[in-house]
Amino acid sequence: MSLEGRLALVTGGGRGIGRAIALKLASQGADIIVNFFRHREKAEQTAKDIEALGVKAEAIRANVGEPAKIDEMFDMIGNKFGRLDILINNAASGVGRPAMDVDVKAWEWTMDINARACLLCAQRAAKLMEGRGGKIVSISSLGSPFVLPNYAIVGVSKAALEALTRYLAIELAPQGICVNAVAASAVETEALKFYFKEGLVKDKRQVTPAGRMVIPGDVANVVAFLCSEEAFMIRGQTVVVDGGTSVGLFTLVGKESE
Amino acid sequence: MTVEEQIREIVARITHVDKNIITRESTFKEIKADSLDIVQALVAVEEAFEIEIPDEEAQKFQNFGDFVSYVESRVAQGEKV
Repeated sequence: MSLEGRLALVTGGGRGIGRAIALKLASQGADIIVNFFRHREKAEQTAKDIEALGVKAEAIRANVGEPAKIDEMFDMIGNKFGRLDILINNAASGVGRPAMDVDVKAWEWTMDINARACLLCAQRAAKLMEGRGGKIVSISSLGSPFVLPNYAIVGVSKAALEALTRYLAIELAPQGICVNAVAASAVETEALKFYFKEGLVKDKRQVTPAGRMVIPGDVANVVAFLCSEEAFMIRGQTVVVDGGTSVGLFTLVGKESE
Repeated sequence: MTVEEQIREIVARITHVDKNIITRESTFKEIKADSLDIVQALVAVEEAFEIEIPDEEAQKFQNFGDFVSYVESRVAQGEKV
Protein backbone atom coordinates (compact mmCIF):
# COMPACT_ATOMS: atom_id res chain seq x y z
CA MET A 1 0.00 0.00 0.00
CA SER A 2 1.67 3.22 -1.08
CA LEU A 3 0.30 6.70 -0.59
CA GLU A 4 3.25 8.40 -2.24
CA GLY A 5 2.43 11.83 -3.60
CA ARG A 6 -0.90 12.01 -1.76
CA LEU A 7 -1.80 14.92 0.47
CA ALA A 8 -3.73 14.12 3.66
CA LEU A 9 -5.39 16.36 6.23
CA VAL A 10 -5.78 14.83 9.69
CA THR A 11 -7.98 16.90 11.99
CA GLY A 12 -6.84 16.69 15.58
CA GLY A 13 -3.68 15.14 14.19
CA GLY A 14 -1.23 16.33 16.83
CA ARG A 15 -1.76 13.68 19.46
CA GLY A 16 -3.43 10.42 20.34
CA ILE A 17 -5.20 8.53 17.56
CA GLY A 18 -4.80 11.45 15.14
CA ARG A 19 -1.04 11.49 15.59
CA ALA A 20 -0.84 7.73 15.01
CA ILE A 21 -2.91 8.08 11.84
CA ALA A 22 -0.80 11.00 10.61
CA LEU A 23 2.42 9.04 11.18
CA LYS A 24 1.02 5.90 9.57
CA LEU A 25 -0.10 7.73 6.41
CA ALA A 26 3.26 9.53 6.31
CA SER A 27 5.09 6.20 6.63
CA GLN A 28 3.31 5.18 3.44
CA GLY A 29 4.48 8.26 1.60
CA ALA A 30 1.70 10.81 2.08
CA ASP A 31 2.41 14.45 2.85
CA ILE A 32 0.43 15.46 5.93
CA ILE A 33 -1.39 18.55 7.14
CA VAL A 34 -1.72 18.23 10.90
CA ASN A 35 -4.70 20.20 12.15
CA PHE A 36 -4.71 21.11 15.82
CA PHE A 37 -6.62 23.44 18.07
CA ARG A 38 -5.20 23.81 21.58
CA HIS A 39 -1.98 21.80 21.59
CA ARG A 40 0.48 23.52 19.26
CA GLU A 41 3.63 21.97 20.72
CA LYS A 42 2.33 18.44 20.24
CA ALA A 43 1.19 19.21 16.69
CA GLU A 44 4.54 20.74 15.80
CA GLN A 45 6.33 17.73 17.29
CA THR A 46 4.13 15.43 15.23
CA ALA A 47 4.92 17.48 12.11
CA LYS A 48 8.65 17.14 12.87
CA ASP A 49 8.30 13.39 13.39
CA ILE A 50 6.46 13.15 10.06
CA GLU A 51 9.18 15.09 8.25
CA ALA A 52 11.75 12.69 9.71
CA LEU A 53 9.99 10.02 7.64
CA GLY A 54 10.96 11.90 4.49
CA VAL A 55 7.65 13.52 3.59
CA LYS A 56 6.30 17.03 4.02
CA ALA A 57 4.25 18.11 7.01
CA GLU A 58 2.55 21.26 8.15
CA ALA A 59 0.67 22.07 11.36
CA ILE A 60 -2.41 24.27 11.00
CA ARG A 61 -4.41 25.65 13.92
CA ALA A 62 -8.18 25.64 13.53
CA ASN A 63 -11.10 24.95 15.82
CA VAL A 64 -13.23 22.67 13.67
CA GLY A 65 -16.18 23.47 15.92
CA GLU A 66 -16.35 26.85 14.16
CA PRO A 67 -17.42 26.86 10.50
CA ALA A 68 -15.44 30.04 9.77
CA LYS A 69 -12.25 28.40 11.03
CA ILE A 70 -12.88 25.35 8.85
CA ASP A 71 -13.28 27.68 5.87
CA GLU A 72 -10.04 29.48 6.72
CA MET A 73 -8.20 26.17 6.98
CA PHE A 74 -9.48 24.91 3.63
CA ASP A 75 -8.87 28.29 1.97
CA MET A 76 -5.28 27.98 3.08
CA ILE A 77 -5.01 24.39 1.82
CA GLY A 78 -6.63 25.38 -1.47
CA ASN A 79 -4.36 28.37 -1.98
CA LYS A 80 -1.18 26.60 -0.99
CA PHE A 81 -1.69 23.11 -2.42
CA GLY A 82 -4.72 23.38 -4.71
CA ARG A 83 -5.72 19.79 -3.91
CA LEU A 84 -6.38 17.22 -1.21
CA ASP A 85 -6.39 13.44 -1.53
CA ILE A 86 -7.28 12.24 1.96
CA LEU A 87 -9.38 13.74 4.74
CA ILE A 88 -9.33 12.14 8.17
CA ASN A 89 -12.07 13.50 10.43
CA ASN A 90 -10.50 12.68 13.76
CA ALA A 91 -10.85 15.80 15.93
CA ALA A 92 -13.32 15.19 18.74
CA SER A 93 -14.43 16.60 22.02
CA GLY A 94 -17.22 15.93 24.45
CA VAL A 95 -18.78 16.40 27.81
CA GLY A 96 -19.15 13.32 30.02
CA ARG A 97 -22.68 13.40 31.35
CA PRO A 98 -25.78 11.21 31.45
CA ALA A 99 -28.36 12.15 28.80
CA MET A 100 -30.66 13.64 31.42
CA ASP A 101 -27.96 16.14 32.44
CA VAL A 102 -27.09 17.30 28.93
CA ASP A 103 -27.78 21.00 28.36
CA VAL A 104 -27.91 22.93 25.12
CA LYS A 105 -24.37 24.23 25.45
CA ALA A 106 -22.85 20.78 25.99
CA TRP A 107 -24.95 19.36 23.13
CA GLU A 108 -23.92 22.05 20.68
CA TRP A 109 -20.24 21.95 21.66
CA THR A 110 -20.05 18.20 21.15
CA MET A 111 -22.19 17.99 18.03
CA ASP A 112 -20.43 20.93 16.38
CA ILE A 113 -17.00 19.36 16.78
CA ASN A 114 -17.80 15.66 16.42
CA ALA A 115 -20.52 15.70 13.76
CA ARG A 116 -21.02 19.05 12.02
CA ALA A 117 -17.28 19.49 11.44
CA CYS A 118 -17.22 16.15 9.58
CA LEU A 119 -19.86 17.43 7.19
CA LEU A 120 -18.29 20.83 6.65
CA CYS A 121 -14.78 19.41 6.22
CA ALA A 122 -16.07 16.78 3.79
CA GLN A 123 -17.89 19.43 1.74
CA ARG A 124 -14.74 21.51 1.40
CA ALA A 125 -12.46 18.49 0.94
CA ALA A 126 -14.62 17.05 -1.84
CA LYS A 127 -14.10 20.23 -3.86
CA LEU A 128 -10.33 19.85 -3.52
CA MET A 129 -10.66 16.18 -4.58
CA GLU A 130 -12.62 17.05 -7.73
CA GLY A 131 -11.35 15.25 -10.80
CA ARG A 132 -8.85 13.18 -8.83
CA GLY A 133 -10.95 11.13 -6.40
CA GLY A 134 -10.09 10.79 -2.77
CA LYS A 135 -10.65 9.14 0.59
CA ILE A 136 -12.55 10.37 3.60
CA VAL A 137 -12.31 8.42 6.84
CA SER A 138 -13.99 9.58 10.05
CA ILE A 139 -13.24 8.28 13.52
CA SER A 140 -16.20 6.99 15.50
CA SER A 141 -16.53 4.99 18.70
CA LEU A 142 -18.53 2.16 20.22
CA GLY A 143 -20.58 4.81 21.99
CA SER A 144 -22.67 5.01 18.82
CA PRO A 145 -24.15 1.47 18.71
CA PHE A 146 -23.77 0.82 22.45
CA VAL A 147 -24.57 2.66 25.65
CA LEU A 148 -21.50 3.71 27.60
CA PRO A 149 -21.72 5.42 31.00
CA ASN A 150 -21.91 9.23 30.86
CA TYR A 151 -21.27 9.13 27.14
CA ALA A 152 -24.69 10.16 25.82
CA ILE A 153 -23.85 13.23 23.73
CA VAL A 154 -20.61 11.84 22.40
CA GLY A 155 -22.38 8.60 21.48
CA VAL A 156 -25.12 10.51 19.68
CA SER A 157 -22.56 12.66 17.85
CA LYS A 158 -20.76 9.52 16.70
CA ALA A 159 -24.06 8.02 15.50
CA ALA A 160 -24.55 11.18 13.43
CA LEU A 161 -21.02 10.82 12.09
CA GLU A 162 -21.67 7.22 11.06
CA ALA A 163 -24.97 8.08 9.34
CA LEU A 164 -23.27 10.97 7.57
CA THR A 165 -20.55 8.55 6.44
CA ARG A 166 -23.20 6.43 4.69
CA TYR A 167 -24.83 9.41 2.96
CA LEU A 168 -21.52 10.90 1.86
CA ALA A 169 -20.33 7.52 0.60
CA ILE A 170 -23.24 7.35 -1.81
CA GLU A 171 -23.33 11.02 -2.77
CA LEU A 172 -19.58 11.23 -3.40
CA ALA A 173 -19.20 7.82 -5.07
CA PRO A 174 -19.64 9.28 -8.60
CA GLN A 175 -16.66 11.55 -7.90
CA GLY A 176 -14.47 8.58 -7.01
CA ILE A 177 -14.39 9.51 -3.35
CA CYS A 178 -14.48 6.61 -0.88
CA VAL A 179 -16.05 7.48 2.46
CA ASN A 180 -15.85 5.24 5.52
CA ALA A 181 -15.53 5.35 9.29
CA VAL A 182 -13.53 3.47 11.90
CA ALA A 183 -15.00 2.89 15.34
CA ALA A 184 -12.71 1.98 18.18
CA SER A 185 -13.45 0.88 21.70
CA ALA A 186 -11.53 2.63 24.49
CA VAL A 187 -8.10 3.44 23.08
CA GLU A 188 -5.08 4.04 25.28
CA THR A 189 -4.59 7.79 24.78
CA GLU A 190 -4.32 10.93 26.88
CA ALA A 191 -8.03 11.55 26.33
CA LEU A 192 -8.73 8.18 27.94
CA LYS A 193 -6.84 9.20 31.06
CA PHE A 194 -9.46 11.92 31.45
CA TYR A 195 -12.25 9.38 31.15
CA PHE A 196 -10.59 7.13 33.71
CA LYS A 197 -10.24 10.11 36.05
CA GLU A 198 -13.92 10.91 35.63
CA GLY A 199 -14.82 7.29 36.32
CA LEU A 200 -16.28 6.82 32.85
CA VAL A 201 -14.03 3.93 31.91
CA LYS A 202 -12.74 1.09 34.05
CA ASP A 203 -9.80 -1.13 33.13
CA LYS A 204 -10.85 -2.52 29.75
CA ARG A 205 -7.99 -5.01 29.50
CA GLN A 206 -10.13 -7.40 31.51
CA VAL A 207 -12.98 -7.31 29.00
CA THR A 208 -11.13 -7.35 25.67
CA PRO A 209 -11.02 -10.84 24.12
CA ALA A 210 -7.83 -9.90 22.24
CA GLY A 211 -6.15 -9.59 25.64
CA ARG A 212 -5.05 -5.98 25.54
CA MET A 213 -6.52 -2.57 25.04
CA VAL A 214 -6.74 -1.00 21.62
CA ILE A 215 -3.78 1.28 20.93
CA PRO A 216 -3.77 4.23 18.49
CA GLY A 217 -1.70 2.22 16.01
CA ASP A 218 -4.49 -0.36 15.71
CA VAL A 219 -6.87 2.35 14.53
CA ALA A 220 -4.23 3.91 12.27
CA ASN A 221 -3.61 0.57 10.51
CA VAL A 222 -7.27 0.27 9.53
CA VAL A 223 -7.50 3.92 8.50
CA ALA A 224 -4.43 3.49 6.28
CA PHE A 225 -6.01 0.44 4.65
CA LEU A 226 -9.23 2.37 3.98
CA CYS A 227 -7.09 5.10 2.36
CA SER A 228 -5.50 2.57 0.01
CA GLU A 229 -6.73 1.47 -3.41
CA GLU A 230 -7.17 -2.05 -2.02
CA ALA A 231 -10.17 -0.73 -0.08
CA PHE A 232 -11.79 0.83 -3.18
CA MET A 233 -14.97 -1.26 -2.93
CA ILE A 234 -15.59 -0.54 0.75
CA ARG A 235 -18.08 2.33 0.96
CA GLY A 236 -20.09 3.86 3.76
CA GLN A 237 -18.97 1.31 6.32
CA THR A 238 -17.97 1.70 9.93
CA VAL A 239 -15.16 -0.76 10.65
CA VAL A 240 -14.96 -1.73 14.31
CA VAL A 241 -11.54 -2.00 15.98
CA ASP A 242 -12.16 -3.29 19.48
CA GLY A 243 -10.28 -6.55 19.97
CA GLY A 244 -13.59 -8.41 19.88
CA THR A 245 -15.20 -6.59 22.78
CA SER A 246 -18.48 -5.76 21.06
CA VAL A 247 -19.18 -9.18 19.53
CA GLY A 248 -18.05 -11.02 22.67
CA LEU A 249 -20.10 -9.06 25.19
CA PHE A 250 -22.13 -12.02 26.45
CA THR A 251 -19.07 -14.21 26.88
CA LEU A 252 -17.55 -11.59 29.15
CA VAL A 253 -20.40 -11.28 31.65
CA GLY A 254 -18.94 -11.54 35.14
CA LYS A 255 -15.33 -11.29 33.98
CA GLU A 256 -15.04 -7.65 35.01
CA SER A 257 -15.43 -8.61 38.66
CA GLU A 258 -12.90 -11.47 38.50
CA MET B 1 -9.56 47.67 29.82
CA THR B 2 -7.08 45.65 31.91
CA VAL B 3 -6.28 41.98 31.31
CA GLU B 4 -8.26 41.12 34.45
CA GLU B 5 -11.32 43.06 33.29
CA GLN B 6 -11.23 41.43 29.88
CA ILE B 7 -10.98 37.94 31.36
CA ARG B 8 -13.74 38.74 33.85
CA GLU B 9 -16.04 39.75 30.98
CA ILE B 10 -15.22 36.58 29.05
CA VAL B 11 -15.83 34.31 32.05
CA ALA B 12 -19.06 36.13 32.98
CA ARG B 13 -20.35 35.81 29.40
CA ILE B 14 -19.62 32.09 29.27
CA THR B 15 -20.93 31.19 32.74
CA HIS B 16 -23.86 33.65 32.67
CA VAL B 17 -22.95 35.11 36.05
CA ASP B 18 -22.80 38.77 37.03
CA LYS B 19 -19.20 39.87 36.40
CA ASN B 20 -19.28 41.94 39.58
CA ILE B 21 -19.42 38.83 41.75
CA ILE B 22 -16.22 37.42 40.21
CA THR B 23 -13.21 38.26 42.39
CA ARG B 24 -9.64 37.03 42.15
CA GLU B 25 -10.43 34.67 45.03
CA SER B 26 -13.51 33.17 43.34
CA THR B 27 -13.13 29.46 42.62
CA PHE B 28 -14.55 28.08 39.38
CA LYS B 29 -17.10 26.19 41.47
CA GLU B 30 -18.26 29.44 43.04
CA ILE B 31 -18.63 30.98 39.58
CA LYS B 32 -20.60 27.82 38.68
CA ALA B 33 -18.18 27.05 35.86
CA ASP B 34 -18.29 23.40 34.77
CA SER B 35 -15.53 21.66 32.78
CA LEU B 36 -16.99 22.82 29.45
CA ASP B 37 -17.24 26.43 30.68
CA ILE B 38 -13.58 26.29 31.66
CA VAL B 39 -12.53 24.94 28.25
CA GLN B 40 -14.61 27.59 26.49
CA ALA B 41 -13.13 30.32 28.70
CA LEU B 42 -9.61 29.07 27.94
CA VAL B 43 -10.35 29.09 24.22
CA ALA B 44 -11.89 32.58 24.33
CA VAL B 45 -8.98 33.97 26.34
CA GLU B 46 -6.45 32.29 24.05
CA GLU B 47 -8.08 33.97 21.08
CA ALA B 48 -8.49 37.35 22.77
CA PHE B 49 -4.85 37.55 23.85
CA GLU B 50 -3.36 35.47 21.04
CA ILE B 51 -1.68 33.10 23.46
CA GLU B 52 -1.91 29.37 24.06
CA ILE B 53 -2.54 28.00 27.52
CA PRO B 54 -1.32 24.40 27.93
CA ASP B 55 -3.72 22.08 29.78
CA GLU B 56 -0.95 21.34 32.28
CA GLU B 57 -0.93 25.03 33.26
CA ALA B 58 -4.70 25.41 33.22
CA GLN B 59 -5.07 22.45 35.57
CA LYS B 60 -3.09 24.38 38.19
CA PHE B 61 -5.60 27.24 38.33
CA GLN B 62 -7.31 27.09 41.72
CA ASN B 63 -9.33 30.26 41.27
CA PHE B 64 -10.04 33.17 38.93
CA GLY B 65 -6.97 35.03 40.23
CA ASP B 66 -4.63 32.19 39.19
CA PHE B 67 -6.12 32.30 35.69
CA VAL B 68 -5.67 36.08 35.47
CA SER B 69 -2.12 36.00 36.86
CA TYR B 70 -1.08 33.38 34.34
CA VAL B 71 -2.48 35.36 31.41
CA GLU B 72 -0.96 38.60 32.74
CA SER B 73 2.45 36.96 32.90
CA ARG B 74 2.11 35.61 29.37
CA VAL B 75 0.96 38.96 28.02
CA ALA B 76 3.86 40.69 29.79
CA GLN B 77 6.30 38.21 28.27
CA GLY B 78 4.85 38.96 24.84
CA GLU B 79 5.38 42.69 25.33
CA LYS B 80 9.04 42.15 26.10
CA VAL B 81 9.64 40.21 22.92
